[in-house]
Amino acid sequence: MDRALARDLQERFSDRLLVPVRQRHDETEIRVSLANAVDTLRALHDEPAFGFEMLIDLCGVDTGDEMQVVYHLAAARSADWLRLIVPGIDRAAPRAPSATFMWPGAEWMEREAYDMFGIIFEGNRDLRRIYMPDDYQSHPLRKDFYLADDASRSPAAGVRNMERAGTPRDATAATAVRRAKGA
Amino acid sequence: MSGLTTTWARLTPAGRALAVLLPIVVIGGAGTTALLVAFGGAIGATIGANIPIVRFLAASVITFLITVPTAFLLIYMEMKIIALMNLRIGPDRVGPFGAVMSVVHGLKVLMKEDYTPPSVDVPVFTLAPVVVYTASFMTLLVIPFAPALTSMNLELGLLYFFAVGGFGVVGLMMAGWSSFNKYSLLGGIRAAAQAISYEIPLTLSVVGIVILTGSLSLTAIVAAQSGSFLDWFIFRQPLAAIIFFIAITAESNRTPFDNTEADQEIVAGFATEYSGMRFGFFFFAEYVNVFIVSALFSAVFLGGSHAPINLPFHPEINVDLGTLGIGLPLLAGLAPVVGTILCAAPIWLFAPRVRTWQALLGGFLIFGGLSTAAIGVWAVAMLPPVADLLFFLLKTFTLVFIFVWMRGTLPRARIDQLMGFAWKWLLPASLLNIFATAIAVLITG
Amino acid sequence: MTTETTRPTRPSLDDPRVAIPGSSSWYEPAPTPQTERQAEFLNLRDGEMFINMGPQHPSTHGVLRIIVKVNGEQVIDLDPVLGYLHRGVEKLCENADYHQAICYTDPLEYVSSLFCEAAPVAAFEKLMDVEVPRRAQYIRVLTMELNRIASHTLFQGWMALDLGGLTPILWSFIERDEIVDMLAALTGQKLLYNYYRIGGVNGDLNHEFMSRLGAWMSRAAKHIDSNLGLMNENELFVRRTRDLGTLDAATALRMGVTGPNLRASGVPFDLRRDRPYLVYPELEFDVPTRTEGDALARYLVRIEEIKQSIRIIDQVLHEMPDGPVMAKLPRLIRPRPGRAFGAVEGPRGVYGVYAISDGTDQPFRMRIHDPSFVHLQLVGPLTRGNLIADTMAVMASLDPVMGGVDK
Repeated sequence: MDRALARDLQERFSDRLLVPVRQRHDETEIRVSLANAVDTLRALHDEPAFGFEMLIDLCGVDTGDEMQVVYHLAAARSADWLRLIVPGIDRAAPRAPSATFMWPGAEWMEREAYDMFGIIFEGNRDLRRIYMPDDYQSHPLRKDFYLADDASRSPAAGVRNMERAGTPRDATAATAVRRAKGA
Repeated sequence: MSGLTTTWARLTPAGRALAVLLPIVVIGGAGTTALLVAFGGAIGATIGANIPIVRFLAASVITFLITVPTAFLLIYMEMKIIALMNLRIGPDRVGPFGAVMSVVHGLKVLMKEDYTPPSVDVPVFTLAPVVVYTASFMTLLVIPFAPALTSMNLELGLLYFFAVGGFGVVGLMMAGWSSFNKYSLLGGIRAAAQAISYEIPLTLSVVGIVILTGSLSLTAIVAAQSGSFLDWFIFRQPLAAIIFFIAITAESNRTPFDNTEADQEIVAGFATEYSGMRFGFFFFAEYVNVFIVSALFSAVFLGGSHAPINLPFHPEINVDLGTLGIGLPLLAGLAPVVGTILCAAPIWLFAPRVRTWQALLGGFLIFGGLSTAAIGVWAVAMLPPVADLLFFLLKTFTLVFIFVWMRGTLPRARIDQLMGFAWKWLLPASLLNIFATAIAVLITG
Repeated sequence: MTTETTRPTRPSLDDPRVAIPGSSSWYEPAPTPQTERQAEFLNLRDGEMFINMGPQHPSTHGVLRIIVKVNGEQVIDLDPVLGYLHRGVEKLCENADYHQAICYTDPLEYVSSLFCEAAPVAAFEKLMDVEVPRRAQYIRVLTMELNRIASHTLFQGWMALDLGGLTPILWSFIERDEIVDMLAALTGQKLLYNYYRIGGVNGDLNHEFMSRLGAWMSRAAKHIDSNLGLMNENELFVRRTRDLGTLDAATALRMGVTGPNLRASGVPFDLRRDRPYLVYPELEFDVPTRTEGDALARYLVRIEEIKQSIRIIDQVLHEMPDGPVMAKLPRLIRPRPGRAFGAVEGPRGVYGVYAISDGTDQPFRMRIHDPSFVHLQLVGPLTRGNLIADTMAVMASLDPVMGGVDK
């Protein structure tokens, strides 16, 4: 746990942090709103005091109530992973800024998040499905995803046993979506 | 009618075959005899008047028939040698040490479905393997296996070789174009580019030898290397030999220059869409090519059928079999029996656990080996073509082994490195070789 | 009896191709571009054509399809198409409990599956706040380093095979086979070991493993050196890989490259040293780096890592303590709500798992980060302008495993 990093982050980003810096094991976690995400990323990357040059991971999270985009950053100055969470993205029409302006390598990870969660990353030049076929309709990692429900809209509907249309009998949006309690 | 059917039904298979074949033989034989009686003189005269054509046809048929077992042998060699280099066992199922495996492969290829994909250019697609195979076995015509075993001793043998051998690339190009496949197209184009680039240093590298011998005939070139191994052109023209070796490697599309069928890049190149025996023809042609270029190298640079050193003695093993009289059939009948028993005796005496029949079998095998070796030695000593052929094949298969060795060792060169090497290094080097040879000839007269 | 009915307009519902009426051949219409980048890619200029490599192709390291836009032999652009091996592991893990999730991550990078186990196990241990016994930590380091060697020797052989050399792959399989047999003696399986558990490992070292390991260690370094002679001193191999696909440090950082590929570009970032986990801080080893950043450097860095791994194994064998190999944990893993990121330095780069717990016995979200996925992005930028053959060489030098890329 890198206390100095937590202190620096708290000082630098005190105006935009949604919750205070959290630390656990070798992870430091900050949360900023969607509007501040790009500035924060840029500051973390560019400012010599931080120097988080490596984007280790970018992923989407569906908490059941909202979408989040989570960045894991690494820097030479600290032995901690920095986790930047951008919460509060609308589940119905999720949009987030792209990180490809700084890390071109985030392109595919954003494509994956788009494929799996439907999050549209504004600024990504190549935002299309990466794993699922092009004519696939829904986003599989969302918490309200059913295979059967989706298959009824796909061109192969009712052809293969695996994708035969049909939803769980008691499946409604309210009962089926698993919601994160502490996330 | 029904009587005939019942008779046919009662016949054994052998009887049926006889019933069919006998009339054919009788009628055919009678017809042939009648024809020969009627026009025998005219046919003889025609053949006599056109000996070169008949000779050419006969030689072509024989070379064509030779290529198939040669290809089988080379394929087996490659499978086994590369397997041993890879620390694998390799073929070991069919025949002793898996030696018949390549024949079985050939049969497998024959029995596979001969599939013509839709949307290929059918006539060109069908002809391509024929062209490739023809080009490769026709070059075998001029190879001087021995002074007495040269199919066609052409005055322009070397030129014929390059001309007909270069024709094979047309077949590859045809295959690449007609397959309607981008891999095939790339393979065909690569083959064309590679062949055109390497034809030039290949042809230029032997010009020095042509200057030295004053002839394009391969027999003359081999004859010019008689004497000890120091007279071989590989020692008199080392640069030419290196250029020639690299160029023939590229010409026969072998590793490290096998870009035309680089399976990591373009799957199987020109042969991607081929299956069954059509693919088999490409496959065979490659190995026949390896044999032919090795043979050419040993003819041009390694003294062909000449022994490495001039044997100072010629043993005269001259037994007049006629003097033996009644002893000859007795000897022929008794020698195997006595020899077998003599060879079996030590096994039987000194290895008591071996059963009698096993000892006898071993003795028979030993005797067979010994007598074969004796006959071989006698043939080599008494029949010069046999010795010549032996030396020639020894050199050729050493080169084949080197080709296989390279395949087991080297990765593939990139196409631009390949072309650059031909134009930037081999071509100037071969020109340099020509100038040096010409100047040397001028000075020494 | 009409001929139209014998051939449906769509050959199969999975197949987007359509039939040309009155013709016997199929054609695949160009897909409609969905993005700016794809439109640019699909726009063919004069003399250019597409070549489709894969999903069935001799050298795609699994089931990968690459559409290559070429002008003659020159690669203008390329577009990898993923998803042929997509199994939805992240979704499966959300519907499995914590122990089962480890099984699902196992076959991701099937060449080095111990690392795929180590990352989720590390994340779950952070969620559970559990300390792994020291002997278990040593065993993990030992088995992971063995697996790293197995993976790198396989890489060496594949690299040669993609350049057209037949023999090195079979030579390198000797070492890999020996290690795989060793690990099979320990874990019971040859490929997907499923050996690590939350809080320790599944079973202590056994006699067969130790005797095999001892026999192998006595000759490993010599064997590996003799294998290297076939490639490192081969002029053709060196000429084909030197200055090919050069990746400078700044670009590598921006592309999110990790592992040996990053170290070959001159950035000495190694989790084993910079983010210490298990007992790595107590072990002595070097982090090999090179500055060239080309395919040859990526190859040489991996070769150097094999030697360092042998060094680590040597120390581990000397310092391994006695003790239990499992921490005391409830049978049902039910962590408190929270988030954890567990990462290990795999043979291809940072292998990370980001797990979110919501207090139940199933992970609420399990994000798997695979280095091959990121590295595969580089094939396009690094081969643009080179030849078709270089596509394979660059891809082999980046060493992606499609099982990990497609999750």
